[in-house]
Amino acid sequence: MAEKLGVYVCGGCGLAEAVDLDAVCTAVKNKYQPQCPVIKTHPVLCSPEGKAAIEADIAEAGLDGVCLCACSPRSKWDVFAFGDTVQVERVNLREQGVWSFDKETGVVEMAKGINDLQLICNEYALMGVVKLTKSNIPNPEVAETFKTILVLGGGWTGLNAANAAASLGYEVVLVEKSDTLGGKVVNFYKTFPLSHPYTEAHETGLDKLISQVNASKKVTIFTGTSLEKFSGAPGQYKALLSNGQTLDVGSMVLATGWDAGDTKYLAPLGYGEIKNVITTAELEKMAKGGSITRPSDGKAPRSVAFLLNTAACSTVACPSDVVMECDAAADAPQNPPAEAAAEGEAAGPAPFCDLESQRHLALSSEISTLVALKQANYVVEKDPEAVAFIFYDHMMVPGINERYYKAAQDKPGIMLSKAEIKSVKSGSGGSVIISMENTLLGESIEIEADLVVLPTALVPTTAHSPVVNLEYRQGLAFPDLNLFEGYADSNYICFPYETRRTGIYAAGAVRQPMGLALSADDAMGAALKAIQCVSSANKGVAVHPRSGDRSYPVFNFVRCTQCKRCTEECPFGALDDDPKGTPMPNPTRCRRCGTCMGACPERVISFDNYNIDMIGSMIREMQVPPKMDVGGPRVLILACENDAYPALDMASLRGKSWSSYVRVIPVRCLGSVNAIWVADAMSKGIDGVMLLGCKYGDDYQCHFVKGSELCNRRKENISESLKRLGVEPERVDQLQVAIDEYDVVPGMIDQFMDMIVKMGPNPFKGY
Amino acid sequence: MSSPVRIQPDPSFVRELQAAGGESVKKCYQCATCSVACPLSPSENPYPRKEMVWAQWGLKDKLMNDIDVWLCHNCGTCSDLCPRGARPGDTLAAIRNMTYRKLVGPACIGEWMSSSKHLPKLIAIPAILFAVIWLITQGGFSIPEGDIRFGKLYPGDYTIDPLFMLIFGFMGWSFYKGVMNMWKSFKSLPETWQLGVEVEKPTVIQAIIDVVRDEIITHRKWNDCGKENTERFKGHWTLVFAFVALAIVTGVVAVSHWGSKVPGFNWLHMLGDTPMPLYSPVKLLAVAGMVLGLYGLTMLTRRRLNQDSQKSGSSFYDWYLLGVVWAVFVTGTGCFLLRLAGVAGLAYPMYYLHLISVFMLFAYLPWSKLGHLVYRTTALVYARVSGRLPLSRVEDKVFEI
Repeated sequence: MAEKLGVYVCGGCGLAEAVDLDAVCTAVKNKYQPQCPVIKTHPVLCSPEGKAAIEADIAEAGLDGVCLCACSPRSKWDVFAFGDTVQVERVNLREQGVWSFDKETGVVEMAKGINDLQLICNEYALMGVVKLTKSNIPNPEVAETFKTILVLGGGWTGLNAANAAASLGYEVVLVEKSDTLGGKVVNFYKTFPLSHPYTEAHETGLDKLISQVNASKKVTIFTGTSLEKFSGAPGQYKALLSNGQTLDVGSMVLATGWDAGDTKYLAPLGYGEIKNVITTAELEKMAKGGSITRPSDGKAPRSVAFLLNTAACSTVACPSDVVMECDAAADAPQNPPAEAAAEGEAAGPAPFCDLESQRHLALSSEISTLVALKQANYVVEKDPEAVAFIFYDHMMVPGINERYYKAAQDKPGIMLSKAEIKSVKSGSGGSVIISMENTLLGESIEIEADLVVLPTALVPTTAHSPVVNLEYRQGLAFPDLNLFEGYADSNYICFPYETRRTGIYAAGAVRQPMGLALSADDAMGAALKAIQCVSSANKGVAVHPRSGDRSYPVFNFVRCTQCKRCTEECPFGALDDDPKGTPMPNPTRCRRCGTCMGACPERVISFDNYNIDMIGSMIREMQVPPKMDVGGPRVLILACENDAYPALDMASLRGKSWSSYVRVIPVRCLGSVNAIWVADAMSKGIDGVMLLGCKYGDDYQCHFVKGSELCNRRKENISESLKRLGVEPERVDQLQVAIDEYDVVPGMIDQFMDMIVKMGPNPFKGY
Repeated sequence: MSSPVRIQPDPSFVRELQAAGGESVKKCYQCATCSVACPLSPSENPYPRKEMVWAQWGLKDKLMNDIDVWLCHNCGTCSDLCPRGARPGDTLAAIRNMTYRKLVGPACIGEWMSSSKHLPKLIAIPAILFAVIWLITQGGFSIPEGDIRFGKLYPGDYTIDPLFMLIFGFMGWSFYKGVMNMWKSFKSLPETWQLGVEVEKPTVIQAIIDVVRDEIITHRKWNDCGKENTERFKGHWTLVFAFVALAIVTGVVAVSHWGSKVPGFNWLHMLGDTPMPLYSPVKLLAVAGMVLGLYGLTMLTRRRLNQDSQKSGSSFYDWYLLGVVWAVFVTGTGCFLLRLAGVAGLAYPMYYLHLISVFMLFAYLPWSKLGHLVYRTTALVYARVSGRLPLSRVEDKVFEI
């Protein structure tokens, strides 16, 4: 708890001209004189003189906290740092006070004797001070940790990841299920080009990679071994292998790759029924074996048609297959809560639902395109007189692979056309007749080919089984896999590799269908993430996205009612529980979003520098005029500090303004918003609460994945309670803002204010 | 919905076409910039986009019957604008080259005309032929005495005239067969009927008159065909009229010579006794043809040499024709000047070379690029008769690039 505070009000950037800085000081003095031995103004706080003055005060008065009423915490953060023992609170008078102040209505109010801007600045300053008085410097416990990195999967990606981590000096354990290393690439005849000039397919270079990994002293290889159980937390994981060994590892790179898609989905294009219709996986094996032949008579085909347009296999075309086995048991991949397992041991492990569908064909389009190009090249390479057709809906060759596409176009024996496949039938002498519409040839055509090749879908291994076999309360597998068709992808635009389980980093085709070049990049990226994880766990700090955060959730178990909300709602499965249901924190799994804090009805969970009392006290610093028509309404905005708060800052930087009746308090994530804050605000007579946070739903943008979604669910409960109390539920609303929507945010605020003004005062006002 | 057409792609045809000047054809990705940009292409079913995909797929039947390749005057606008460097203009030229090669037999001439490696053979035939004649008339490679008259070395009555009549007969017969084949292949194409639009189709005579007036004499399409086409227009137009002038001269000489042998027409020889005096109107016409021809050749050669090789190229067919026509004009001019200068030792060998080049121009004509003289004319006539091209000029595509 900061006890000796210095409060500084900056006059730079136009603040001195717009606000009476001394009045801000007086407001603080009147309320918090005892805690604040230093309260002063400075013309330019971020100047060397300003900083020197603060440092002098810290030394002289022994301050343990400074409250800087100046610009946004997003700027000058490097200037305003005063060491580990002094807490810093930034009061955003510039962006969210002066710059965004609506001057037009401000003048009108001034005429009535009310200086709204002064009120705003005073209140924000007081909030800053009270926030510091409720904040401690976190001191995380540092447990003994392991730095070994487990690479699961010894294919192309896994080998690259092992190589990458080993080359950076980390011990690596490489676990491969099959008896040899190399994975799917073992069967590759060639890969589409990985280097300049990107025009010809070439050898994969797998042998060299394997011998490199074999030669590394840092890598321990287990082949013919699978991961039976993965328990613990980052830095302290225990990996139980199928050979009975238990290894201590720090983090994991998940590189289990893909399985070839089920050929039953290819039946509409003749697979299974016509002998000379095969898949690219089968052709690749043949090419690797030396020659391409027809299954019907073993002859080398003179014409091979690659059908990339798999619309005939789409969900519309075969509705019987589209119902995923999972859809019946809605939440199956998230696995049933622990009590079910506890009640009936006989029930066994939760059933894992297979997530493969024909959608994987479409999802693999890019790879299918490149593979078709590569194999069309095989056809003309093996027999220069042969013809290879590619019938596509879209050629997906983004980036540098465009060069490979162009090189293939130039070959006389390779013929490409857009086409809608109408039918695939067998012709005479083992040939296959494909009839098509809407081709580049401008008419409906028929082609007789000796062999037809259909794409092989890349189905992530995580669609077929839990793979990671976690001993977590929330289940064996990654949560919400069905959102990503089974791919172990976090759907993070900004944070690739990060799965919903801290310490496990997905790379390669298990994450997204990709070729060897991207897989190798992925392997390096995931290995670096795994290293970041072990070197954060050993310091007790958060890995990501709040990298280096020293705070951690503290549980006051005395008041815990074992309601399990925190354990169920944690987006990262950080909390296990004991048989009674008492949460068991795993700090190294935790990402410090505060979702547990927001969930807890008993307010048991807090962080040293972020807690229920702190935000509650800040809300209490808001001065609510007893009559709305005299001092105006009041609205509290709880803004997500990742997206919404920066969007407000940016709006202000771009000269936008918004209602002077709102007060913005940043929160770590909307998931950390506890209903009590809203209840406090409403009972205090505040006329409305806006929860500004990230998009939620399937295309969420929440840094903590579930935060804004959970907040929305809780908001529904709050609305119910408000209704019961006779208060309009619309007074509390959650709005979705992306970081680049700075042009929209002020309008959203003003619209909300209009609604509040129309609705009239909060019925609780004045009680 | 039309029933599907079975197609038989042929990669060997693609390779052949690439060798005949369409090496970039596979680059086309069917964006249709070419068809939009072409100032001549009709708005219904425009070329050259569809020809590009047929060519890529080696659909030779479609291409060999395609009238549209003859509607193209190869201005190069499409190749200039092609985003992929596929050179549609070159491809259409290559398709035409393939047509010269395949339309009539004997197949070996078509084959020999397709690549520079057969050039020695093509030169050797007339070279040996005329050397033998020289040997026979002079009893050895000696230079005739006295004033220079080329008839001393190659007497018109017994060598040049019968020989070239044979050549012209052969050429005419080949063209006759070629035109018939072509007409038949065009007829085999399904005709397009526009519902509700009554189009009066012209007769063949009307079409021929229109082609001669609108295409050959005025070269009007050449000026419609791209803005930077003036050099090519001037070159081609003057060269055409140089040939017309020289054809008139040759005709006059032949008619006067052979006509004068008919009893009662003795006076005809006055017109065209060779060598003619310089003031003779026929000689003046010949000199005018020579000058026009050299000017036209210079323009056309300069254009080819200055072409952006990134955008369009010149095939063997192009260079063969230019080369032979140059040879005809240079050796012809040489004979004329050397004869006037009285340098017998050079004039007779020059005449020998002139004969070789003239032989090469005419004997191989149906298989050379000059075949377009007949085949393009045929196609243009058919295009009018079939309604592919309107008889009167229609401005239905107006745009600026």
